[in-house]
Parts: sequence; structure tokens; C-alpha cells
Amino acid sequence: MKRNIVTMTALLVMASQSTFAGHKGIKLPHMEFPMAQGKGMYAVKGMCNMCHSWGYILNQGKQSKAFWRKKVRKMINVFHAPIKDDDVEVAVNYLFTHYGNGKEE
Amino acid sequence: MKRREFFKTTALLAGSAALTSADATEAVEITQPIDNRSVADIAFPQKQPMITHSDRPPLLETPRSVFANPITPNDLFFVRWHMPLIPTYINPHAFEIKIDGLVRKPLRLSLDDLKKRFEAVEITAVMQCGGNSRSAFHPTPGGIQWGVGAMGCAKWKGARLKDILAAAGLKPGAAWLTLDGAEKPVYNQTDDFKRALEIDKITDDMIVAYEMNGEALPYLNGFPVRLILPGIYADSWMKMLERITVTEKEPHLHFMEHAYRIPDNDCECELPDKLYPKTKPIEKMNVKSLIGFPENGARIHAGTETVVRGVAFDGGSGIARVDISLDGGETWQAATLDDGKAGRYAYRAFRFAFTPSQAGEMRIMARATNTEGETQPFAHEVKWNRGGYKFNGIDEVRVEVIA
Repeated sequence: MKRNIVTMTALLVMASQSTFAGHKGIKLPHMEFPMAQGKGMYAVKGMCNMCHSWGYILNQGKQSKAFWRKKVRKMINVFHAPIKDDDVEVAVNYLFTHYGNGKEE
Repeated sequence: MKRREFFKTTALLAGSAALTSADATEAVEITQPIDNRSVADIAFPQKQPMITHSDRPPLLETPRSVFANPITPNDLFFVRWHMPLIPTYINPHAFEIKIDGLVRKPLRLSLDDLKKRFEAVEITAVMQCGGNSRSAFHPTPGGIQWGVGAMGCAKWKGARLKDILAAAGLKPGAAWLTLDGAEKPVYNQTDDFKRALEIDKITDDMIVAYEMNGEALPYLNGFPVRLILPGIYADSWMKMLERITVTEKEPHLHFMEHAYRIPDNDCECELPDKLYPKTKPIEKMNVKSLIGFPENGARIHAGTETVVRGVAFDGGSGIARVDISLDGGETWQAATLDDGKAGRYAYRAFRFAFTPSQAGEMRIMARATNTEGETQPFAHEVKWNRGGYKFNGIDEVRVEVIA
């Protein structure tokens, strides 16, 4: 799977060697958004943080099981996240347990 | 009724605890948005520390106090990206915008071309995310749980979109633009963040901006150029704009067909268990105002003159008046507006001086009315939609008056 990240890294290397005075580009900081400890945490971290921060998930608010399932499916179907079918429910259960609103639907 | 009282009494503390409670039932409840978040302890490049919802992609919210002024400084202007890969270096001498598709002469315009070949236009305009204040909606719609600050107002300078298209020469039948910026998804197969704009809806006020408040745009606000669409929500104000493709047919784009849409009915509303089947783009902004000072939880002195300051705006009709209530919305008094010279797309600053007479909790509300007579509903009167878009409830802050 060819990733744009390879291109981006190459661009960054080129940028660091660039000699344009006064224009050096930016460096984005990393921020830690703590995850709830629990079953499936590391698996979910791998699946989701490949593309986006944990903050992006916290900011969806507390949601139903159906909502989280739909989101995970969307990540696979629309955004092409390489999440295996077997792992979908691992993610859904973790998300619903820690970031759920208690409702199935 | 009990739940409403609950929200009223916890308005100042309205954090995750309140959200959890709201979600325990299907009943729709619209409250004031979350307003107790602090800025992060890390500043992003070219920014002051801001309320940080995510670092990848960066999602930065402007704190309320900034809205005591009608221009939002570049280093406090909100940030919202959709894709995780944002160029962190762009060579301004090599950067080009491509204009292609149904045009007589496809163009590649450098930053220098944009500045020299086209008339420079300046416009002060509000940019607001359609989901600004989404955290007011319960049940909680998916999406970033913005407080009040997914908006800002800047003086933009750039070339008219119309002039650029004229230089390329539209061919007969040209009806749509596809706008593409430089942000990229992690996987090549993923739909890029692209937006469509109908050529018929392009006005003289729409520009490709290379300056923001007299400076180059911050990277996180779209350096070196972004599209400015005054009066319209920010979803199509493409950052790091690098390609405009002209077509006859409306392009099929994920982010047009599945995002930034509201129910296509008169109230633009629906119920969580009865979603309205037909939707439309959010497009034109509704009338809104925000108090920048005092903030929630501020302490002011009885017998001391206090000046409420804030901003009001709409989709371009212009603000006619802003009224202030100090008694929970029972009675209203007119605030003083600025001269309005910044134009109909800019924030209209308002001020209201008063002297509180006795100690205790005080609720301060602001309500804007535009030149069409459209005004803001109370927050609890705002109707729910699944995307949590277009919140424009009357703003309210609670302060403590001390003896």
C-alpha cells in the first residue's frame, strides 16, 4: 500500500535542506490525548491513530454503539483504513464501553 | 422541566458530565454550548495557545475573550483541517494554482501572478465553521464538539475568483468548480478533501486571498492562499488552494454529499429518531452574536461601570441592532454598534455599559437582529439537526456581582 506519507517525508527532508531565508515552514507539535485504560486499548490505538489523533475521537462526544459501529465502518469504507473485519467489534466495544452513552441504537 | 433546570444550573460547568446526562434520554435539548475549556499549554506554529481539540489534524478553537474585538488576530484564529497530512513547507516562489477543465486557456498562477496580474481586493469577512457551537445540541451530534470559538473575522486581501476564471476563459456550459487544497489523506485511495462551488453563485466579493490582516496567512489557516466566500459557512473556503477544475456537471464528492448538510425543510430541523430524508448544503450563515466580555464566571463589582463587548454578524444582509438583557431575557435594551464601515460581511462590534446595583449572580444575554428583521431565538428554541449545524441561539454568560 503506497502511502502519501512517503512523499510527505521526502518533502520534509527537502524542506530541511532548503535555503530559502526567512521561510522555513512549520513543525507541528504532538499532543497526548489520554485514552481510557481497558480491553482493546492498544489495538484501537493502532487502528485509529494511524490517521488521526485520539482527540478526534474524544470530540465526537458520548455516543451509541450503533454510532461507533457506523463510524468504524466509515473509516474502512470511505477512508480506506486497513482495519480487518475481525477487529471492527474490538474497536466498537472499546469505544462504546469508554465513550458510550449507554444506548445500543 | 427538571432537565432544563439541570442545564440552567450547570451552565457554567457544562462539560462532559452534562453531556452524559443529556444522552441518557432521546429528548431533544438545546443549551448554551460548552464554555469552560482552557487553552492548551502548547502553542501551534504561528499561533498562541488555543483550545486544542486535536493535534492531527489540528483543530484549534478561539477562546471567547477574543470576541471582545471585531478583528480576530491571525495567531488566535480558529483552525480546522480534514486530512491528516498537511504540507509543513510550501515554497512561496514555486507554489502554483492550476485552473483547468472546461476553460479556453488552462492556467498555472504563481503567488506573484496572483498579486500582479489581478486587481487586489480587500474585504473584511467572518469565517465560521458550520458546526460552531455544536456542543449546544443534545442528543450529541457526531463531529467536533466546538464551543463558541470556531469562528473569526479578518481583513482578507486577494484576487477576485471571477477575474481568475475570466483570465482562463470559461467555455460554454461551464457550471461548476471543484476546489482542491494541498492537504492529503494517509492512503492514496481515500477521497481527498474537495469542495464544489456553483459558478452561478460566485459573487464579486469572493476572492483568492494571499493576505490576512495585513500579513501572509498562517500555515494553519491556509498559507499561501485560501478561498474567501463572504457570508457562507467555512466548509468551502479551501485552504492551500492549489487547483480549480471547471466542469459542466456537478462533481460527485464525498465531502459535498455526506458532510455539511442540513434537512431540506423550512425549519431545517428533524428529530433523532425521525431524520428528514432530504438534505441541502448549509451555505448562508444565519444571524448571530457573541459576548466577548465579560466571560462566564467573571466577577464584577456592584456600583462599578461594566462594559459588555461583543460581535454580531450574519450572512451579508448586515446587522441592524443588538439588544442586551440583564434579567434572563425578560427585558431588552439596545447596545451601541460600531460605525459599520468594515462592511456587511464583517463583525459588527457592540458595546453596552451598565452599573450593577446589587450583589448576586447575573445573566447577561445578547441578541442580534439583521436588516431583514431576522433575529436569534433563545438557545432552548433552536431546532435540532443530526449534524449539529447552524447554532445561533441567543448568547448568555453568567457573572458574579460582588459587593
